[in-house]
Amino acid sequence: MRDVRGDVVRRQLRADHGVSVENVRSICGYLISAETNSESIAARADDLFVDPIIEHGLTNTAALASDHFVDAPDVVVTIGFKPGVTDNPGKAATDGYLTLFPNDTAAKVATYITYAFYGVPETCVPEWLASTLHNGLIERALVGGKEACASGQWPELSFPTPPPQTFTPPQAVDLEVDDAALMTLSEQGLLALNLTEMKAIRDHFRDQTTQTARAAEGLPINAPTDVELECLAQTWSEHCKHKIFASKIHHVDTETGEDTVIDSLFKTHIMKPTHDMQNDVDWLLSVFHDNSGVIAWDDTWSVCMKAETHNSPSALDPYGGAMTGIVGVNRDILGTGLGARPIANTDVFCFGPPDWSGDLPENLFPPSRVLRGVHAGVRVGGNESGIPTVNGAIVFDDRYIGKPLVYCGTIGIMPSVLPDGRPSHVKTPQADDIVYMVGGRVGYDGIHGATFSSLELTEESPSSAVQIGDPITQKKMIDMILEARDAGLISCITDNGAGGLSSSIGEMAEYTNGCEIDLAAVPLKQAGLSPWEILVSESQERMTVAVQPHDQAAFEALANLHEVEATPVATFTSTGQFHVKYGEETVALLPIEFLHEGVPQLELESEWTRPNPTPFTPPSQADHSDLLLRMLARPNIASKETWVRQYDHEVIAQTAVKPFVGVARDGPGDAGLIAPIHGDPHGLVISCGIAPRYSDLDAGAMAAASIDEAVRNAVCVGLDVDKMAGLDNFCWPDPIESAKTPDGRFKLAQLVRANRELERVCRAYRLPCVSGKDSMKNDYGQGEGKISIPPTLLFSLFGDQPDVRFTATSDFKQPGDLIYLVGSSKDELGASELAFMLTEAGEAPGIGGQVPLLPHPEENLRTYRQLSRAIQQGAVRTAHDCSEGGVAVAVAEMCIGGRLGANIDVDGTGDADLWSRLWGESLGRFVVAVAPDQETNFLKTMAGHPTTVLGRVTEDAVFHVTDGHDAVIHLETDSMVHAWQATLAMGGASDE
Amino acid sequence: MSEEVRVAVLYGFGINCDHETKAVFDMVGASADRVHVNELVSQQTSLEDYDILAVPGGFSFGDHLGSGRLLGNRLRFTLRDSLKAFADAKKPIIGICNGFQVLVKTGLLPGPDTHEPDFVQRASLTLNDSGRYEDRWVTLEFDSESPCIWTKGITRMECPVRHGEGKFVMPHEADVAALESSHRVAVRYVDPVTPIGAHHTQVLPYPVSPNGSMHNIAGVCDSTGLIFGLMPHPEAVYAAWLHPNHTSGHAPAGQGDALEGWEGEGLQIFRNAVEHVRAHK
Repeated sequence: MRDVRGDVVRRQLRADHGVSVENVRSICGYLISAETNSESIAARADDLFVDPIIEHGLTNTAALASDHFVDAPDVVVTIGFKPGVTDNPGKAATDGYLTLFPNDTAAKVATYITYAFYGVPETCVPEWLASTLHNGLIERALVGGKEACASGQWPELSFPTPPPQTFTPPQAVDLEVDDAALMTLSEQGLLALNLTEMKAIRDHFRDQTTQTARAAEGLPINAPTDVELECLAQTWSEHCKHKIFASKIHHVDTETGEDTVIDSLFKTHIMKPTHDMQNDVDWLLSVFHDNSGVIAWDDTWSVCMKAETHNSPSALDPYGGAMTGIVGVNRDILGTGLGARPIANTDVFCFGPPDWSGDLPENLFPPSRVLRGVHAGVRVGGNESGIPTVNGAIVFDDRYIGKPLVYCGTIGIMPSVLPDGRPSHVKTPQADDIVYMVGGRVGYDGIHGATFSSLELTEESPSSAVQIGDPITQKKMIDMILEARDAGLISCITDNGAGGLSSSIGEMAEYTNGCEIDLAAVPLKQAGLSPWEILVSESQERMTVAVQPHDQAAFEALANLHEVEATPVATFTSTGQFHVKYGEETVALLPIEFLHEGVPQLELESEWTRPNPTPFTPPSQADHSDLLLRMLARPNIASKETWVRQYDHEVIAQTAVKPFVGVARDGPGDAGLIAPIHGDPHGLVISCGIAPRYSDLDAGAMAAASIDEAVRNAVCVGLDVDKMAGLDNFCWPDPIESAKTPDGRFKLAQLVRANRELERVCRAYRLPCVSGKDSMKNDYGQGEGKISIPPTLLFSLFGDQPDVRFTATSDFKQPGDLIYLVGSSKDELGASELAFMLTEAGEAPGIGGQVPLLPHPEENLRTYRQLSRAIQQGAVRTAHDCSEGGVAVAVAEMCIGGRLGANIDVDGTGDADLWSRLWGESLGRFVVAVAPDQETNFLKTMAGHPTTVLGRVTEDAVFHVTDGHDAVIHLETDSMVHAWQATLAMGGASDE
Repeated sequence: MSEEVRVAVLYGFGINCDHETKAVFDMVGASADRVHVNELVSQQTSLEDYDILAVPGGFSFGDHLGSGRLLGNRLRFTLRDSLKAFADAKKPIIGICNGFQVLVKTGLLPGPDTHEPDFVQRASLTLNDSGRYEDRWVTLEFDSESPCIWTKGITRMECPVRHGEGKFVMPHEADVAALESSHRVAVRYVDPVTPIGAHHTQVLPYPVSPNGSMHNIAGVCDSTGLIFGLMPHPEAVYAAWLHPNHTSGHAPAGQGDALEGWEGEGLQIFRNAVEHVRAHK
C-alpha cells in the first residue's frame, strides 16, 4: 500500500523548501483515557481505529519498534495537539469509542501523527523538519534524530490534559485612578479601549441612578466588576462597533482645498444610499441590521449574503484561523432572520508571493505555508459542511506578508414565509422567551478574539485567540436548527461569534430591552472558568436561540435527536438591563442603552495628498509574445486550479457555471451561477471584485474598480442588472494617527476616498450594499519594520439570473465565432499588473501614472444591461471580463479554455497607445465571442454601445494579434496553457 | 400509475447530499423522505416502511478514522438487524460517495458471494494517490453484463467525483478479479477517447482515474445486484445545465418545461431502481 500521508509531506518539502527526502511514512496514533482495560480495547481495535484492509494496528507498543519498520528512519517527528486545543479526529474517535463501549462514558481519545523520514539530507536539521510540520502555538512536536532512531528511542506524547483553570470570583475594578493607570488597565487587560472610552465607563459608575441600581443587586457601587468591564470591552471593540466607520472625521484635501467634517462614513456613504434605493424597489427585505443582508429572490424564496474576514487568527494559525472564518460566516447565515440555509461559499485570499525568498519578520510564516494552511482550513470547513465554494480569488502582494487577508462569504436561502405564516427575515422575540445556547461548549479557547483583532499583530499575540473549527458539530447544529425553524420553534436567533454570549445575547436583548443570563448554567469544556471568561469566550459552533416557553420541550427533543447540546442559559426581559448572574449572585448589571449606545464617538483627522510614484513608461523594445507568457505566469493572473479544485464547488447539485470552464474544464470562470431550487433553472449569480494595488495611486479608484469588476463578472453569466446587491468588506491598515502610525491621516483619507467612490458608483449602478464589514488594523509590528497592507476593498455581489440554461462562459466555443471587445481601452497603465511586473524586473521605472477610472458609470450600466440581455437571449455564449493583463490576457485565457486559437486586431479598440490597448486595465470592458448566425442579433442588441470587432476564433490553436498591419503576438495555445498553469501548481498531485 | 415507491434518504452526522438525493428520487416518480439515522435507531421511523434506502454523500463524522468508518459503525452496531431485514427483503440500497464508503466499511459492499449480508469488511476506500480531495468531472463506463439493477442500460456517463478517499482497494488482486468476473464491478473510470468495452485492469493515469483505484473501480454491487455503491455523484447530473460544458453549442430555442430536453444523464440510475421496485411490487 502506498503511504499517501507521508508522500504528501515529501512532495511539499520539495516544492516549498527544495528539500528532497527519499521516503516518508506515517503512523496515526490514538491516546485513550478510559475505564475499559486495554486488552478489551485492543480486541476491538479493528472495529474502530484500524482499517483491517489497508492498515496494521498495534496497541501499547511503539509501531516504530515493530516489524513493520525494519529499517531505522533518519528522523522521527510526532505531532499532537496542545492540551485544550480542539482535536476533531479525537472527538470523532471518542464518539466512535462510545458506539463500541457505551458504558465507558468518561472516556476520551486524543490523536497524534508520527512521520518517519528516510534518506534525509545531512544538512537537514530534525527540529527544522518538525517546524515545517506543526504550529507551536497549538501543537506539540517531539523529535528523534539519527542517534535516537538508531537506538530505538521513540518519541512518546502523553495524553493532553489541560491544566486546571482557577475559578476567580468576580472582582471590582477600581477606575478612580489617573489617566495613565486607566490606560495601563486597558492595555494589560487586552481590553483595546482608549482613554475616552475608559473615562466614559468610569463616568457611568459615578452616576447616581447606576449606583442605586447596583446597591440593590449587591454589586460594587462605584466600580465595574471584571465581568462588566470585559463585557463592555467586547461590545465596544472596533471589531463589534466599527468605531472608525462611525467616527467624526475632519477631512482635508490638499489637492482641492476641501476642508470638511464627515459624521460617520458608514451612515453617510453606505447606509444612506442603500436606504434611498430601498424606497425604489420592493426586494430589499433586510439591510445592515441583521447578520446578513436579505433580498427577495422570487415570490417564495429570500436569499441573503454575508462576508467576513479572519485575518489575525489566520496569521497566527492559517489552518484554524481560516476554518473558523468560513464556518463562522456560515453561522451568520444561519442566524439571519429566523434562520437561513447556507448554500454557497466564496473565498478571497490576499497573500505574500508564494515564492517569497526574502526575510520574514519574527513569528510570521512564509507565504507558501500561509496559503497551504488557509486553503486547507477553508477547504475542510466548506467541504465538510456540504456547502459548495462557487466563487473567489487569490491576490498576491509583498505587503500581505505581514497580515494575510482571508475573506469568507456565504450565501443563504430561506422560504419567504415560514409554515406558521411568519416572514422568515423578521425576528420575533418577546420578553420571557427562553434563550438557549446551542451547539458547542464554552472553553478557554477564543478568549479576547474581538479585542485582539482590534490590535496590531505582535510577537506576543495570545494563543487563546486561536481556535480550530469543528464543521461536523456545526453541521449537526445546522440540520437541527433549520428543522426547528420550519416547526415554528424559533423566535429569535443569532450567531455566537466575536464577543461570545456577551455579544449574542446582548444584541438580541435590544429587541425586548433586557435579559437575565445565568453563567453557571452554561456548559463548559473544562471546569474552573471564571464568570467573565464564560461571558466573553468565543468558543466556536454555537448559536444563541430564543424559544417561547411552551416550545421548549419540542425544541429540546429535536436537539436530542440530532445529538446537539442545547441549554437554556438566559431569559429575555424588558427591564432595560443586561443582567448577568452566576447562580444566585449578580455579577453584571449594565443598562442595555449604555452597553450599545454608550461608546463615545471617535474624532479623527484625515488629510489627502496624492501619492506620486514614478510613472510607468514601457520599454522601447519589447517582444509582446514573451511578455504574454510572463504575464500568464504571474501569480496574480496564473491559474489557481490546483487550489480551487480542492473545494467542492457543486454539492447541493445547483452549480450551473463552475469555477473552471471549457473543454478541459480548466479555463477561468468569471462568476458563480447556481440554480438552487432542484428542477428549476432560475439562477442566482455570485461574483466578486478586488483591485488592491490601485490604492498605490488612489484608494478611491481602487474602490470603483472593485465594484465594477464584481458587476462585470456577474454580467458575463447573464446577471439581471436591475436586481443585484452588494457587500462591502474593507480591510485597511490602522488609519488613526498616532506615534506608531504617523501616516494615519493619509490612510484615513484613503478610506474617505474609497467610501465616496463606493457611494458614487453604487448609486449609478443602482447597486445597494446590504451588508458589509471592516477590519481596520491590518499591520504587522511597529516603527521601522512596520508592514501595512495596501488598502483593500473586497466587493461581493449576488443577483438574479433569469434562467441558467441561457448563460455564457469564457472559453471559446467554435472556430469562426466572431470576437468583440465591448467597452474601450484608454491610456490607463498606472498600477497595472504589467507595470508591476516590468518595474519589479527593472525593465520599467515605476508603477505610477494614470490609474483606471470610471468617469460615467451610468453609461457603463446601460451597456452592461444590453450585454446581459444578449446573453439571456442566447445570442452570446462566450463572455469574459477584461481586467488584470488587459485584452491580451483575456483573449489568451479564452483560447486556453477552448483549446482553440484566435486571430485578432487591436487597432481601433480605443484612442490609447498599443501598450494600453494590449495590457491596459481600463474598466467597463468585456471580450465576447458570437456565433456567425447570431451576429446580427448581437449587434442589434448592442447598438449604440461601444462594441468593436477584434477578429475570429481559429481552429489552429494559435493566438495571433496584430495592431493594424503589425504582428505583435504569435503564440501556440499549448504554450500559454503551460505558462498559465505552472506557477501555482506548487508540488502538484503526483511526481510528474 | 402503480403503487407509491418510498425511498428513505439517510441524513445526519455530516451527510450532506441528502437534499439533492431526495430531489432526484422525487423527480423520477418516487416519494422520498430524509430520515435521520437516529430516527431509525430510536425506532421512531421503521426502515420496513421503505422500498429503497439511499446513503448519500457527505462527510459523516468528518471522515475521521477513515471515511465512512464511524457512520458505518453506527449502522453496523445499532441498525444491523433492520438493515439485514431490508436486504433480505430484496430491497435496493445505494451508497453514493460517502455513502459508498459507509456501505464498504459496514461490509454490505462488496459483500459475500452468498446472498446473505454478513457485515464483514472485504474492501476499503482510502486516500487518493494524489493526496488530495478534488472535485472534477470524470468519464464512467458501466458493465453491461452486471447484475446491478441500478445501472441497467447505461453505457457511459460524465459525472463529478468529489472525494479525497476514493481509491478502491482489496487485499489481493484475485479478490478484484473475482468481483470482475461476476460483473460486480458495475462502473469504472475510463479514458473517453478509448472505445467502449476496452477494459483496462491497469490503473489509468491521473486524472482519468482520479484516485488510483485497483482496476479503475468507481463502483461495485453486491452479489444480488440490489446493493450498489459508487464514488461519483450521479445525482449531481440530474439536469444538463449542471454539466460543465452546457454552454457549448447554441442555447436552447424555447423555454419549455425546465427539464424538457435538459434531463441529465445521472437520473437514469435512480429511475432504474424505482422501476425495479415497481416491477417487483
